[in-house]
Amino acid sequence: MTLKLPVSNRNPSRTDDEPGLNGLILRLVKSASALHAIESGQVDAIMDPTTGNAILLPEAQKSLREGEARFRSLVGLSSDGYWEQDEHFRFVSYLGAAIGGSRIDDEGIIGKTLWDVPFDNMSKADWQAHQRQLKSHVTFRDLELRRVDHAGKLRYISVSGEPIFDQEGRFKGYRGTMRDVTKRKQAEAGLQEPNRVARAILDALAADVCVLDAAGTVIMANKGWHAFAAANGGIGAGVTEGANYLAVCDKARGNERVDGIAIAAGIRQVIAGERTLFRHEYGRDSPAGRYWFILTVTGFSGDGAARAVISRENITEPLPELEYTAANRLPVANGLLAVLPRKEYQRLRASLEPVTLTYGEVLYEPREPIRHVYFPNNSLVSLLTTVEGHKALEVGLVGWEGMVGVPLALGSRVSSVRALVQGTGKAMRMKSARFLKEFQQSLSLQRELYRYSHLLTAQVTQTAACNRFHMVEARLARWLLMTRDRVRSDEFHLTHEFLANMLGVRRAGVTNAASALQQRKLISYSRGNISILDRKGLKAASCGCYQTVKDMFDSTQG
Amino acid sequence: MRRKQKKDNASGLATTTVVVMRLYVAGSAPNSLQAIANLEAICQEYLKDSYKLEIVDVFEHPLRALADGVLVTPSLAKVSPAPGTKIVGNLSDRRNVLLALGLKRKVRKVK
Repeated sequence: MTLKLPVSNRNPSRTDDEPGLNGLILRLVKSASALHAIESGQVDAIMDPTTGNAILLPEAQKSLREGEARFRSLVGLSSDGYWEQDEHFRFVSYLGAAIGGSRIDDEGIIGKTLWDVPFDNMSKADWQAHQRQLKSHVTFRDLELRRVDHAGKLRYISVSGEPIFDQEGRFKGYRGTMRDVTKRKQAEAGLQEPNRVARAILDALAADVCVLDAAGTVIMANKGWHAFAAANGGIGAGVTEGANYLAVCDKARGNERVDGIAIAAGIRQVIAGERTLFRHEYGRDSPAGRYWFILTVTGFSGDGAARAVISRENITEPLPELEYTAANRLPVANGLLAVLPRKEYQRLRASLEPVTLTYGEVLYEPREPIRHVYFPNNSLVSLLTTVEGHKALEVGLVGWEGMVGVPLALGSRVSSVRALVQGTGKAMRMKSARFLKEFQQSLSLQRELYRYSHLLTAQVTQTAACNRFHMVEARLARWLLMTRDRVRSDEFHLTHEFLANMLGVRRAGVTNAASALQQRKLISYSRGNISILDRKGLKAASCGCYQTVKDMFDSTQG
Repeated sequence: MRRKQKKDNASGLATTTVVVMRLYVAGSAPNSLQAIANLEAICQEYLKDSYKLEIVDVFEHPLRALADGVLVTPSLAKVSPAPGTKIVGNLSDRRNVLLALGLKRKVRKVK
């Protein structure tokens, strides 16, 4: 029988060098099926009874060597070094490059544990946690270590390892890989820097800016946007990260409905890529006047998904110089607070909370405890008294010059009147308990509030007399002038119904009086929007009560 | 030494005989790995839970292989039920393996 043996077959040039193996095979293996298996390359090793060892055939040897080389090369692809530790976690071998200049192998880590090497980002507790992992023989991944290399530069190394067990299941140590991740770490740190710069620039802008995702949800907003959302009514109120701006626009009602629809449509077009830029100018009424905004929407693709950047600028012309210069002393919108010494105000400010008062909101009811005091900025609050069988009658009006909650300062915790918001706007409020404490401590606050209480009493008594003796037309003129002073605007929104309630007359009476004033071109009145056209003329048309009260106010203003 | 033992399911397969086998391999050499894979597949298909397989690495236990009269790896020995048989190679010839394990009777070709 001619036997084709593996050695002579596969390596004919070396037949002479290895006659021993073929001879050995022929000597040992007698069974035909075994020889056949060897011939067809299905055998890996044969046993040599004289030495008691297994001899790997050349083909299997080659295959094992290739396998090992493949493994090493794969390890090399994903890491910079390959290491092994003994059962005491001391390094027994390290293969691979000097880790990206960290030269950890040069340190002679053989024989050391990982915590013998000076890494500076690991605390004692961190190492204890790592040692607990090792002792429980679990695989650990991406342990990131930092050290200063010879050149004095920071180096980051990521270490992963898995436990090794022998055939009987005894723990023999660990083996794993090391990677130099310094470049990645530097890149990560580098990425955060431009982010911080961009954020600071965004916050420094005068415009209110936010970014919407494709669904219209706000994913980020600058400081200006947040401030607007916290302080204003209308579109944009309360819209911060997580809220859906499109939904808010869709839901806009009243005067803002048309603007809301237009803005939502524009944003949707930008997000859909149908246009790159959308601009919309719109106005918003407030008791302090009409504000104008311009909204600019631009699109961009962040990580593939469509985004829209919204920038809102207030383009309202500044109001003409105010009659009450006291308000300009400090950038504080409430007159009472503005005249306080700066230090006193700054102490109070910690307890003051900005709120938006909306038309129709009742702050106090008669005989009910006062929970907050309010310092209006551009909101307007009516003090109403009720008489059995009649509608409520206005007896006092509080705007930026005063405070709602005066009884507290005079020793009563209960309101005698109903306080009703007549003009939507901003105010600062303070909890009653806090207010009483501050009031006792601050002499200047006491002085201002006693003065104001006196003025308010004067206003109330004058109003009482006025309501009894003067004609509707003169009273209406007085009321419009008082309102004008308190909201610091020549335009405001009021209905006949409301005016009738305020003045305690029938609606028809108000209509007649208003038309008379309009005919004399003192005011213009259309669908609730009142504009004072001729202030001097209106003053002349009013009863003397307006001037009496105003003189008192003016004379006591510092 | 790697051991792989599947316990007989006493209630379900009480009447089935458990086949005890020993496979001699040379570390992770290619034919040895293939023999393990081929045998696993056959056992899954024909024996389910009614077998016991012991895998002996001749590099770790050369003397044991010699004592069992194994000269060539991979080779598979059926220990029980009697008669004991032996088959050499990577077990890719499924018919021969089944015959050796007594899982298939020798049939004459019909055609």
